[in-house]
Amino acid sequence: MSPSPAIEVRDLSKRFGDVEAVRGVSFTVKEGEIFGFLGPNGAGKTTTIKMLCTLLAPTSGVLELAGFDVTKNPEDVRRSIGVIFQDPSLDDRLTAEENLELHAVVYGVPRAERRARLDEALAFVELSDRKKDLVRTFSGGMKRRLEIARGLVHRPRVLFLDEPTTGLDPQTRKATWEVLRGLRDQSGMTLFLTTHYMDEAENCDRIAVIDHGRIVAEDSPEALKRAVGKDVVFVRTNEPAALCALLAERYGLTPDRTEEGLCFRVEDGEAFVVQLVSEARVAVTGIAVRRPTLDDVFLALTGRQIRNGNGEAGRAAMRAMARRR
Amino acid sequence: MRAEVVYHLARRDVVKFLRDRQNLVATLVRPLLWILAVGFGLRRAFDTGATGVDFVSFLVPGVATMAVLFSSMFSAISIVWDREFGFLKELLVAPVPRTTLVLAKMISASVTALVEVSVVLLVSPLLGARIDPLGALVAIPVLVAFGMSVSALGIAVASRMKTFEGFGGIVNFLIQPVFFFSGALYPLDGLPPALAAVVRLNPMSYAVDATRGLCVGVHHFPIALDAGVVLATLGVFGTLAVRSFARMQA
Ligand SMILES: Nc1ncnc2c1ncn2[C@@H]1O[C@H](COP(=O)(O)OP(=O)(O)OP(=O)(O)O)[C@@H](O)[C@H]1O
Ligand SMILES: [Mg+2]
Repeated sequence: MSPSPAIEVRDLSKRFGDVEAVRGVSFTVKEGEIFGFLGPNGAGKTTTIKMLCTLLAPTSGVLELAGFDVTKNPEDVRRSIGVIFQDPSLDDRLTAEENLELHAVVYGVPRAERRARLDEALAFVELSDRKKDLVRTFSGGMKRRLEIARGLVHRPRVLFLDEPTTGLDPQTRKATWEVLRGLRDQSGMTLFLTTHYMDEAENCDRIAVIDHGRIVAEDSPEALKRAVGKDVVFVRTNEPAALCALLAERYGLTPDRTEEGLCFRVEDGEAFVVQLVSEARVAVTGIAVRRPTLDDVFLALTGRQIRNGNGEAGRAAMRAMARRR
Repeated sequence: MRAEVVYHLARRDVVKFLRDRQNLVATLVRPLLWILAVGFGLRRAFDTGATGVDFVSFLVPGVATMAVLFSSMFSAISIVWDREFGFLKELLVAPVPRTTLVLAKMISASVTALVEVSVVLLVSPLLGARIDPLGALVAIPVLVAFGMSVSALGIAVASRMKTFEGFGGIVNFLIQPVFFFSGALYPLDGLPPALAAVVRLNPMSYAVDATRGLCVGVHHFPIALDAGVVLATLGVFGTLAVRSFARMQA
């Protein structure tokens, strides 16, 4: 274990005119950790990443990366990191291969290893047969895959991934996670990522939830789910009114009517269900008990559904709405 | 600073310049049109006796310098383009000193300018211009230095600009007077004093003067002065470019 943490952030703030994008954020990421940064749109995730990777000067606060002060030693920091940006960052008038090659040169990948690294990266994202094509002829998902491949070419100590899998098909998302976990396990790379996919967030060792520029929770996925606590129970019945009344009278619960039946939260779901079935004079036609998921955590902490987790389409629709206003 | 990095960064611009065929043809033909239209158009009105050379030969060094001015300035536009399309972020997080990025841009700008100059100098004799080949060869370093200083100025402006439109406006505002007040189109002897003063303040006048002196043997200032001014301009604008670029945020 290295003496200095991979990332150390204290009281970080960033203000854009009247907008306080980040308001006094502090956290530490250990070497070799997979750290997830979750939060609704506009919470301040990308702004934090940009400050950590030397692209944006903080308004105030302390930022250290691999032991280097980010504001005072940006060049040392740049040598230690890699970034997969949320927004497009390829040169689309170059070919896929040219994009990767320039990256490898700029990041000092030794000439002898370059060829192999490029081929490996291109093969991983299944773009080997398109490597001589201009990036502007690629589909959105192909461009994203190429950006991920590029981020892996130089094997940095700390890799930032800002919504890396947005716009990717399920197979590629899965493959990407296998590679990311492999990199961490084999080379001890530290991963700092944001995502709107809660199933992906399960891959993190630790998660910080940020909302309106403040961290509202920070822990392992397991601990976060435990903190939200109660199990979620769904009961189906042909007489929902009667069951509702029973649940209210006998147990003081106020169930929601959902498509999957009546839904409520109790401490120990299984035990409760056994008791309910043995007591109820109402015919129950189906039962499901679910542990809290990160979705529940997210909802409980930010009071919001994950906004626009499905990427481009949602974003375009939101932009269109904003324009109409 | 690693030479390999500079080479690859500069090569990226040159490759894109050569790849864009329509633009390439247009840039190469434009100076020749100047020579044909303006050169032959005004030839009869030009008093050859004053300079001892015909107008077409007189004009060619001016047009060559003009080509360098325009192409170097517009090479710098690729920074704004890179910002617009997001690639600039990739360059700015890279472990490469900002000076390297600026130098690479200045080199690629002068390489593209050199391609244009070569076409002008090689084709213009076919159009009837009398150019000293040896002198033209010596003029090339002067034009390269001038091109680098123009692109440095372009970089300094581009680093402060957020949009294409803004850059386009400022560049046109800069580039037109620099061109028209440079002596690219007319001799500097016997100008009205006000015009002469403006021309004297314009670094491009010295680049044109040196090129013309070397290519056709007509010049107004001592060539050593010309070269000195061009180099000093490169120093000033180069420093300005590095400073502006270093302060830039993505
Ligand atoms: N360059 C900028 N100028 C002005 N405001 C900005 C700028 N960049 C970000 N902001 C504002 O800062 C806030 C945080 O934005 P940020 O991009 O960090 O959000 P995010 O958490 O990454 O959201 P998303 O999930 O949508 O990517 C927003 O209110 C945004 O409008
Ligand atoms: Mg973001």
